[in-house]
Amino acid sequence: MKMIIGGAYQGQTQWAQEQYNIEWIDGADCLFQEIYTCQGILNFHLYIKRILQAGEATEFAKELIERNPDLILVSNEVGYGLVPIDGFERNFREAVGRICTELASASDEVVRVVMGIGTRIK
Amino acid sequence: MFHVITGGSGSGKSAYAEDCMMDYHKVGPLFYIATMMPFGAEMERKIERHRKMRAGKGFHTIECFYDLKSDTVSEKSYILLECMSNLVANEWFRCVSEQPDTCFEKKTIDSLIEKIWVGVEELLEVSENLIVVTNEVFSEGEENTMEMECYKQILASVNRKMAAAADQVTEVVYGIPVKIK
Repeated sequence: MKMIIGGAYQGQTQWAQEQYNIEWIDGADCLFQEIYTCQGILNFHLYIKRILQAGEATEFAKELIERNPDLILVSNEVGYGLVPIDGFERNFREAVGRICTELASASDEVVRVVMGIGTRIK
Repeated sequence: MFHVITGGSGSGKSAYAEDCMMDYHKVGPLFYIATMMPFGAEMERKIERHRKMRAGKGFHTIECFYDLKSDTVSEKSYILLECMSNLVANEWFRCVSEQPDTCFEKKTIDSLIEKIWVGVEELLEVSENLIVVTNEVFSEGEENTMEMECYKQILASVNRKMAAAADQVTEVVYGIPVKIK
């Protein structure tokens, strides 16, 4: 598994697309099941938001590592602001953190993109 | 040895901080200074999660919601404080409710920063090893209320003072330690 992460509009999507010439799905509108068979997913944080809106995500990271261990995922980093007043938003940013932490530990490469520049942190 | 550990929400900074402390700890008392107030079910769940995580590691837990001082810990101890963002929130929101007319004045804010910093200095003096966990809350574009803006300012000032004095500063990104200093 590989992860490319970064804050909003930091160029992580472009960085990933230049680096990997694969079929990408978009976490904003793909089918839930597609993540288990695709090569790469963009906007992974939006995928997490959608599964949270549909229900729980407690076993999700484990299942993803098992079923699609070669996945390349691109995600926004969220959770670097004040704790939101809205309960769902609070839950969302925490879930992105926990899920991405679990996935990062299973990844052989994690790149963080800041202002378009990727730095390999793992 | 002073190590400041920061990170975003759910980044694994606590687990990393505990691992570091387990590495550093040799002989001597081991303290965990907990600053989160058990306020409502969500906070209690968070606290419970942290308790479980550090169970069996030998920490003696001290709750400190305000007025950080060194009189509750012993000399030559190993101290993990978690976390600065809660301590600052407790201090600041108490200040707002007790001094609504003067809380936004520069001298009130400066003296609050100084008070918190003096508490950290006291811990530095008595400890063999101090780890402080803090929080990255500064990268959101949303307009904040005056209260929240001041909170960020106070926390950022305390973070900067700590980082200047620290031997090591680490940002934890999804469980991955990234060296800042």
